[in-house]
Amino acid sequence: MSDDVDAAMRRQYEVEQFLVHEAELLDESRLEEWLGLVTDDVVYQVPVRINREQTGETRVTGVRTDSFHLDENRASLQMRVDRVATGFAWAEEPPSRLRHVIGNVRVAAPGEAVSEHLDLDALGDDDLVVRSNLLVFRSRGDRPEHDLLAAERHDLLRRVDGGFRLARRLVVLDSTVVPTLNLAFFF
Amino acid sequence: MTATETGHASTNGQGPPGAGHVIDHSTQAILDRMAELHPTGQAPAAIFNDRGIFELEREKVFAKSWLYLGHESEIPEPGDYVLRYLIDDPFIVIRSEDGEIEAMHNHCRHRGMQVCRSEMGNASHFRCPYHGWTYKNDGSLVGVPVQKAAYGDTLDKSELGLLKLANVDTYNGMIFGSLDDDIVPLDEWLGDIRWYLDLFTTRSPGGLQVVGAPQRWIVDVDWKIAGENFIGDSYHTLMTHRSMVELGQAPSDPKYAMYGEQIHVPGKGHGAMCIGAPPGSGLPPMFGYPDDFIERARESIPTPEQYEVAKETRIGLCTVFPSLSIHNPIRRPDTEYEGSIPMMTWRTWNPIGPGKISISSWFLVEKDLSEEFKQLSSWSYLRSFGISGTFEQDDTEIWTHIARNAGTFTGRNQTVNYQMGMELEPDEDWPGPGVAQPVNFTDANLRNFYSRWLEMMTA
Repeated sequence: MSDDVDAAMRRQYEVEQFLVHEAELLDESRLEEWLGLVTDDVVYQVPVRINREQTGETRVTGVRTDSFHLDENRASLQMRVDRVATGFAWAEEPPSRLRHVIGNVRVAAPGEAVSEHLDLDALGDDDLVVRSNLLVFRSRGDRPEHDLLAAERHDLLRRVDGGFRLARRLVVLDSTVVPTLNLAFFF
Repeated sequence: MTATETGHASTNGQGPPGAGHVIDHSTQAILDRMAELHPTGQAPAAIFNDRGIFELEREKVFAKSWLYLGHESEIPEPGDYVLRYLIDDPFIVIRSEDGEIEAMHNHCRHRGMQVCRSEMGNASHFRCPYHGWTYKNDGSLVGVPVQKAAYGDTLDKSELGLLKLANVDTYNGMIFGSLDDDIVPLDEWLGDIRWYLDLFTTRSPGGLQVVGAPQRWIVDVDWKIAGENFIGDSYHTLMTHRSMVELGQAPSDPKYAMYGEQIHVPGKGHGAMCIGAPPGSGLPPMFGYPDDFIERARESIPTPEQYEVAKETRIGLCTVFPSLSIHNPIRRPDTEYEGSIPMMTWRTWNPIGPGKISISSWFLVEKDLSEEFKQLSSWSYLRSFGISGTFEQDDTEIWTHIARNAGTFTGRNQTVNYQMGMELEPDEDWPGPGVAQPVNFTDANLRNFYSRWLEMMTA
């Protein structure tokens, strides 16, 4: 096996381990631990998606750059996490049963741009651009109905102290009208 | 639908939904019970989750009201359009080549296909993808493929334009439309609530802009529960939003949302809250907007009385009957920001089934504020209200369970209580129109909202 393939497999393995660990923290609402995985300068965004015909080159249409469902920094993420910890955040008290299922993890080689949605001026030598597909299953209350949201995540992972930290996440939803009563959880 | 030269979309004439709809016994029983309970400050829970009530509301309330469609700033140029819904009918709200705003039913006159397939954009024409009938952006039918061979001389294109809403009008940039050809003029419909809408819409000579596209999402709740919350339920804040009080993002004074004035417009259902500063709180004036904004507002707001009221307001709310609400509170973009950055959101609560609504939530800001302020204000909005808002998340969670209980076997026979403040006397010294109460811990606005609802449902 060539060194290149070996390095790519190692990167893929490390990234997948990170994403799976992160998903476990989100599923179990261990949010303070999850916050430990994001950088102090994190930008976390979920843009509004609208139904639009193709007008440019891409057929991934309607991803707004001026309207969001979530547009967060470290302090606002902390506020959301602290809110749940008060015990009075009724939207997640009792907690939802959440299941993040991640697949199709695509890790760009260092320095390679694979996302049209991320500002790559911020890309450092050790940063990785990662795209993954996500299904989030959400069940609340004592009825069998559930919400299911699909998205593609565009992440910028930064190597810190031998591990990864999430420096940027852009969540491209596959919904225009969002099929859940609130976004009181993270993608 | 009313057939005119260009064609109108409406519920009058030959149109759906069925005029003369027979009200079944269970629906009539709910209305009779409402009529009995309403004077006592109560309502039957069944009005919040019932198939018959939902069907009747579409016919008697939503088809007979002026409904909010959008804001002029969303379609600034000729040909700009947004797709919006009246009840469940899609309408193309478009600025014509001569600058007029029109709303056309997104419904090909040939076989009924939707001719506009994007939520927003700019178009000179709309071409139906089924057989290719093509309409100019003023709605006129200008192209029928192989017309001569297919129809000979039998097709009169001038009779087959897209159906237009006969009634589309604006107030301070707010676009409203009605399916009712015979509805009173918009100014008369709004009445005295215009004085309060001015507080949100006339503060800047440059006017307001809607930023981007609305959040849209589905909640299992009745539209009235959302509307009543924004029209006059400041009492819920201390418990529903307790998490944000604990975090210091809302005042710890349990009466903080009580201060100020609550105003309703009798006979029309509209209402507003001008929540003031708790004593000793030191909250900055006029929602916490910057000083230069307040100076411009002094010139721009129509009257000195309105300016003074706006200046004393820290949290503004309004519901225009039936389904438009406005919220404009002092806020902070995050816990580390020192100072205040207010935000403003407008939304519609559109019923799509019994106990089920589609919410559209817009963010608005004055055009002449700095780009930095607009960014901070959008964060104040996103992190407090809308689908992910740390306040609104808990509203929608709670509302769904109210609506669910309202539809159960015995829950539907329960009553809900709107008796707070029935003993209060109106504030005769209030400078604005409408009936004002000197505190916000009262259900006066809610009772007025339901008076209007009952009047329309039994008309």
